[in-house]
Formats: sequence, C-alpha cells, structure tokens
Amino acid sequence: MLVGIVFWGLAVVAVAAGAAVFVVDSMARATYALALSFIAVGVQILLLGQSYLGIITILMMVMEMAVMAVYMVMFMGMNPALMPMDMTHGKKTAIGASAGVFVLLAAGALLVPWPERRGAPPEDLTRALGLEIMGEKMLVMAVVGPVMVATIVAGVVLAAHRTRYDRLGDDLRRRPADDPQPGGVGR
Amino acid sequence: MGLSGALARLAVRATRVLVVEVPGHWATRMEVEHQLLRRGWRPAWTPADADVLAVCGVPGPELSELVDRLWEQMPGPRVRADITSPGTVGSALDAAAALLLDTPHHRTDAQERAQEPEIPEDADHGGHGGMGHGGMDHGEMDHGEMDHGGHGGMDHSGHGGMDHGGMDHGEMDHGGHGGMDHSGHGGMDHGGMDHGEMDHGGHGGMDHSGHGGMDMAPGGIALAGGGEDRDGLEMDVLHLPLGPVLPFWPAGLVLRCSLQGDVVVDAEASVVDGAGAGGPGPGPAPAAVVWCDQVMALLALAGVEDAAACARRARDALLCGDEDAARDAVERLDRTVRRSWLLRSSLRGVLLLDRAGLERHGLPGHCRGDAHDRLLSRVERIRAEAGGTEPTPAEDGGVPWAVVPDLVTGLELASVRLAVASLDLDPHPAVQAVGHG
Amino acid sequence: MAESVVTTVPGGWAVLAGILLCGLAFFAVALDAALSARAQGTGGGWGAPLGRAARLLRQRRRSTVAADTLLWRIGGAGMLVGAFLMIAVIPLGEWTLADLDVGVVWFNTVDVMVWALVWLAGWGANSAHGLVGGYRFLAHGVAYELPLMFALVAPAIAAGSLSVGEVAAAQDGVWFVVWMPVAFLVFLVGVTGFSVWGPFAPALAADIGGGVLAELSGVDRLVLQAGRYLFLTAGAAFSVPLFLGGGAGPVLPGWAWVLVKSVLVLAVLVWLRRRIPLLRPDRFMEIGWVVLLPAAVLQDLVVSLVVVWKG
Repeated sequence: MLVGIVFWGLAVVAVAAGAAVFVVDSMARATYALALSFIAVGVQILLLGQSYLGIITILMMVMEMAVMAVYMVMFMGMNPALMPMDMTHGKKTAIGASAGVFVLLAAGALLVPWPERRGAPPEDLTRALGLEIMGEKMLVMAVVGPVMVATIVAGVVLAAHRTRYDRLGDDLRRRPADDPQPGGVGR
Repeated sequence: MGLSGALARLAVRATRVLVVEVPGHWATRMEVEHQLLRRGWRPAWTPADADVLAVCGVPGPELSELVDRLWEQMPGPRVRADITSPGTVGSALDAAAALLLDTPHHRTDAQERAQEPEIPEDADHGGHGGMGHGGMDHGEMDHGEMDHGGHGGMDHSGHGGMDHGGMDHGEMDHGGHGGMDHSGHGGMDHGGMDHGEMDHGGHGGMDHSGHGGMDMAPGGIALAGGGEDRDGLEMDVLHLPLGPVLPFWPAGLVLRCSLQGDVVVDAEASVVDGAGAGGPGPGPAPAAVVWCDQVMALLALAGVEDAAACARRARDALLCGDEDAARDAVERLDRTVRRSWLLRSSLRGVLLLDRAGLERHGLPGHCRGDAHDRLLSRVERIRAEAGGTEPTPAEDGGVPWAVVPDLVTGLELASVRLAVASLDLDPHPAVQAVGHG
Repeated sequence: MAESVVTTVPGGWAVLAGILLCGLAFFAVALDAALSARAQGTGGGWGAPLGRAARLLRQRRRSTVAADTLLWRIGGAGMLVGAFLMIAVIPLGEWTLADLDVGVVWFNTVDVMVWALVWLAGWGANSAHGLVGGYRFLAHGVAYELPLMFALVAPAIAAGSLSVGEVAAAQDGVWFVVWMPVAFLVFLVGVTGFSVWGPFAPALAADIGGGVLAELSGVDRLVLQAGRYLFLTAGAAFSVPLFLGGGAGPVLPGWAWVLVKSVLVLAVLVWLRRRIPLLRPDRFMEIGWVVLLPAAVLQDLVVSLVVVWKG
C-alpha cells in the first residue's frame, strides 16, 4: 500500500518535473528539472525491485545533466545573469511529434496483452540482469565499448584544428609540447 | 544574557575580518593580520563572510566608495573598524569585538538597512570591491532618460545622447553594466526589431519580446557579448574586475579583465584613486618584509597553507625585529619550499619569462623563469637579508604595474593570480609614484 | 541475497548513525582548526568548530541581485543531505542501516550528486566568482570521477559482490589495501575530490574570493561547509569496509574498529590538506586521464587476473 502510494507520487513528480522543463525560463532550472524527473523514475525502478538499474539510472542521469548544463550554457552563450528564456522551440512540430509518440506508447502499454508472471524472480537480480543483457552477447559488448570510445576520440581529433605537428614540431621532437594550455603531466 | 548571549560570545571567538589596505598602509594591514590571528580570528575573503570590515589607512574618494559598497554587502552582525595607524590596531579590534556582542545594536542595524540587495546606479567596474558580481541591479533605471556621462568609471563614453528607444546594440558597448559586453550582438536593432529576421547567434528559442526592446534580464543585467576565443570558436566575453579588495592581491591594484570562460583575453590595469592619493603612509617597507609578504601571498594562492603560515610568521618576526625567530622561520620556509615537488609541479610553467620576454616587457633580470624560479630566488634573497650573511644584492627594481595586463593576457584566472603574486610588483604604486614624481 | 553477512538494523538507528557521522566530522573540523592554529603559531583551536558554527548561526543570510535562490539553496542543503545518504550503506561492524545489494553503486551515485550540487551552489549566486568555482569543480569531476569508478570496481571484483557488507567480509585474512594499493589511493583522491577538499578545493579557493562560497553567509554557508566535512568523513568511513577490512581487528569489537580506522583515514586526509598545493583543474585533468585512469584500470586487470587464477 505505502509502496503503491510512493510509486504513484513519484510518477506525478516525474511527469511534473518533465513538464517543468518546458515551463521554466532558465536553462539551469530546465536542466535540473529534467534531472529531477529522471531521479524520480530511478527511484520508481528501485521500487520495482531492480536496484541496480534504478541506481545506475540516477547516477548516469545526474552526471549527464551536470555535463549538459555546462554545454547548454556554453553553446547558448549566456552569462551568469540568469537571462530568462523560453525553453520551447519549433512548437507546432514538437507538440505534434510528442503527442503522436505519447499516444503510440500509451496505446501500446494499454493494448498489448501483457504476459502473466511465471515463477519467482531470481535470487541475485543484478547478476541475472547482467547475464540476461550480456551473457550471450559478451563478445559484441566487449567490441562495442572500445569502438565507441575510439569513435569519440577520433571525433575530437578530427574536430581539433591543432595536430601533433603543431604541438611537437615538424620532426615531432619538441619537448615539452607547445600547448595553449599546458597539462599537468608535462608531456 | 541567556542563550543568545552565549552564542554571541562563542561567535565572536571565530570572528572573520575583511581587511582593506589603503595603498601605502602596509604596516597597519600586517599588524591587523598579526593581531587577528593571535585572537583566533581569521581573515575573510569576501564581504559575505565578514563580521568586521577593517579599513587600514584613510581611503581616497574612489576607495571610500568601494568600502561603503563592501559594507553594504556584509550580512551582519557587522562592525566597521577604521584603523589609521599600526598603534591603534589592538584597541580598534577590541572595540570591534565589544560592538559585535551588542545584539540589540545589530538588530536595529538589520532593520534599518536595505532589505533587498541592490547596487547603486553609478556602479563601476571595481564597484564590488573586486568581487565582480555578474549581476548588478539596474532594474529601476530609466533607460530613456539615463545620463551615461555621469556614471563614474563606466565605459559609456561613446554613447552621449543615445536614444535607447531605437538603439543599435551592434555598436553599443555596455561594458559598465555588470561588466557585460554587448558588442557581439550581431547588429540587432532592438528598437524596431524584427524577430523573424533576427540573427540570434545561437540563442535558439530565446524570447526577446518581453524586454521592451532592451536585451536585458529583469534584474537589468545586460547579456554577455561574444567574441572569438583562442580556438577560434565564438564564446561569451565577460568583464570581471580583479581588485582592489581581493585576498592576496597587491593593494590598490585594479585589473579589469575580459574573460572567455576563465581565460583572460584582455586586461587593463589601474590603481585605485590614481597615483598620489595614497595619503600619509609610513613610507616604503623594508625589502625583506615585502618579499615575505609576497611569498606568503603566492604560497597561499597555490594552496600550501603550512608554508604560507611559515612565510607569514617570518614576515611578522622581521617586522618586529625578532631576528632569531625570523631566521628560524625563514630557514624553515626555505626548506619547505625547496623540498616540495608538488609545489614545484604546481607553479612550474606559470608565466615563463625568458630573456627575450624580459626585454620585451622591460622587466628586471630577477623576474626570469617561471613562478617557481621567482619564488625560490625570492626566498633566497629573504634568507640573505634575514641571515645577514652576505651583503644584500643590489636591487634592480620592481615590476611596474602597468605591464601586468600584457603579461597576464591569455592566461586562465588561477594562473593570472599566481603570475601577479609571483612578480615583484611595486607594492604600493601610489606611494611610489608620489615618491618618484 | 541468500545469507546476509550483516544485520540490518531498524530505521530508527539512523539517528545514531547520523550522530556518529556528525561527531567524526566535528573531529575533522577541530583537527583542521588545531593544525591551522599550530601552523600560525597561536596554539589552541580545538574549540574552533563551536565558535565557527555559532558565528554562522548568528550571521544573517544574504542574497544577491537576480540570484536563482531556489537552485542556490538546493546546492547548499543538498551537500548536507547527501553525506547522510552515503553512510546508509556503510556497515558498522556487523550492523548496517541498509544492506543494499548494490551498495557500492549507491555510494558512487551519491558522490555523483555532488557534481550537480556544487555547480548549482556556484550558479545560483549569480556571481562570476561563484560560477568560475562551479565550473572548476565540474572540470575536476570529469577528471577524478572515472578513476574513482574504476577504483570502486576493484574491491567489488575481488569480493564478487557489490554489497558493501560482502566486500568487507571478503577480506578475512588479507585486506584489500594490501594487494590493491593503487585502487585505494585513487579512491582517496576521489574522496577528497567529491568533498571539494584540500588539493581539490580550487572551486573554493582564495584566488576567486572563495568561489562557490563567495556569496554565501550565515546558515547557508554553514550547511555547505558542514556538507563538505560530512562528505569527507563519509568517504573516509567508506574506505574502511572497502579496503581496510571493515570491522576486522584484535581485541576491540567490530564497530569500534570501523570507527578507529575511519578516524585514522580522516586524520590523514585532514593533515595532508595543509601540505599539498591546490591541483588546478587544467593541470589535474591530464593527470586524471593519463595517469590515474590507466593506473586504476590496470589495477582492475590485476585484480581480475588474481580472481580468475584463484578460481
């Protein structure tokens, strides 16, 4: 009973905080409203008994929102003056798309014949979850990780206009390297 | 007295003092620092944290105004102590402690002062005592009738009879408004602006309509303008004054920085109240004391508190002529500084000046190397001075403050502070200027 | 979980846990004040925490022009709350408040919250110094968080569990600190990092007038400062079940050993602060990614190999 009330309370918080993202007039508030929404969802997952998934959702999303606040402020070009701004953009398309997606998902949730529960949950849920997600596909997962990292690194390297020749000279022998902002290791 | 009395007595034991040094009054400032530590008090870094505002010396008109503004920013209970000479430090601090205990007085003070934070209209760059609040309150300003000529210190010079109704933000430099630069607003005409064609320069879905054509937040704070950063990307420019009231900063120096992120892209130096308004100070300080003070500032900024405390003790011992204690403290300082490889790695490469660099900026030879080299040579000179073992090497002059902007442009904020602290800046430029002029 | 190695106590004991945490944090403040007084040559200082707290309680709160007060206050108060959340999973000997099967991840999640909180506290004041401080902290976060995560992985691999109680129990015989010293050091770096402590305090440094703290006064300053000390204490206490054998030790009961070890780790962290210069974010960024991260990953590899080899 109590768990049920908390669950529905969190659901309201999650939706309200999600809506607040578009209502508030500051980037910081929008970002952290979204974080709050995700935290509420994370706690809901906790209540469903999936502690690992719930906690990792909160961890990832708070971290992501902290970084997103940085990028938003950086790209939107705002001083700390907390300039109020409308957080919506391309309203008609956005409303249409989101209403459509909502109807689709809600219809799916209501209309799909959900299976009855068979058997009891395994003892160690986290382990079972890991095996379920990774077990058969360990090789794929092990490859995908490094490929993603390599993509990010390659993207940054391609985007940066300075190359190693700028840093280390034409014969790559200049030490220490010539950087606009020297790092702490002294490479 | 009861509970609140006991709380007050307990609180006064941990009093924090915001020390404002009028250029030239180094002796009073050092005495204040010495005495407040002995009472178990600590210096405050900002007005927000201060209980006592200790003004060392008689400030000139510009600094007086700043001091008043700092006073406004103090949360209370607050006490102001005007200390004109080192001899009166003890009694002034005693009086401050007594007044701090007077709870009814502070209750009245709290009721009488402004309840909302506000900034006077004539706020200039240094207005916040060097704390550089992004947000100034221009909310009640009437822009239609605003007289830009009267804003002491604001850089509005080109806007004499500007009509804000149809003004062109593209050419306007609002540099004075909380330090924001409007120059980058891509020629927007806010008077009769057309939102359909406006180039928001990345400001996506910003809603300008509610701002009566002024590109300002409700608090009246101007938006930052943009500019190319050192990677060639568009980035906001924010104006931040450093000094004259800033911890571990040369007294009286004001450095108006233009920041992109925390990188200083442009800077402009001046001295508060100009040269010559320093008032009757006790004259130039003994060299070893000044060096110890500079070393303390550099170590404190680098964050090695034990070593900074050591330098402070050496300074105070030198000042009161306790030669044995001074020699001990200097030796210990020398050992600590020399042995710490972490300190070396922290200061290594900060404002590296080679021979060509020295010549370009017209700096004396002892500024050669990076901040760590300068620190070591400074400590070495203090040792020579305090130990009296070798004759004092001929001093080949300090660094004039006017060269600071050239030196710090391109550095990020923390390095700027370290760089300034590592230089043998003429400690009291106003007094020096008078002396030489 | 089939057989839990620790006993979960009723929620009411949380009060005692909170008091213990506050007591340890008080010790940290007092020690720091005493060391500071000794360095200044003034003596005393042990009573300083009371005076400081009284001063801040007596001081008025203040606001700044156009401050985002909601976010600002959340940033400060959140620090205070976060530390208490963190200790919920730390077993005190054989008792714990919450025997979470993913306690290590819980710890990690709470420490990530600090990213948001410190930035919010810096942002909300609408002051350039506060904002610079907030961003400095995030830059530090980007550099210390991944090494910290990989450091947390090492004991979890060795114990074969993410439950803090089981990690502590897996150390009968050899403490993890003995054969995973790198992970331990990286963990301590992370603890100082998320406590905005010592070398990781450029966000609060003198060069920007106190940074995130620049505009805070009165009780708002008190909660943020207390939050930092509580986080430092909670982090030090968490190192005990993770690396220092939990409650294992002769003569004294388990809970006493946990406290003794926590105090020792805490004292070392407090003492070190005065000797290590600030690690500026631009310098530490490279150290974090080029030195600490590979070191932590290598440590994980070694631990994994040992675990596989031992079967």
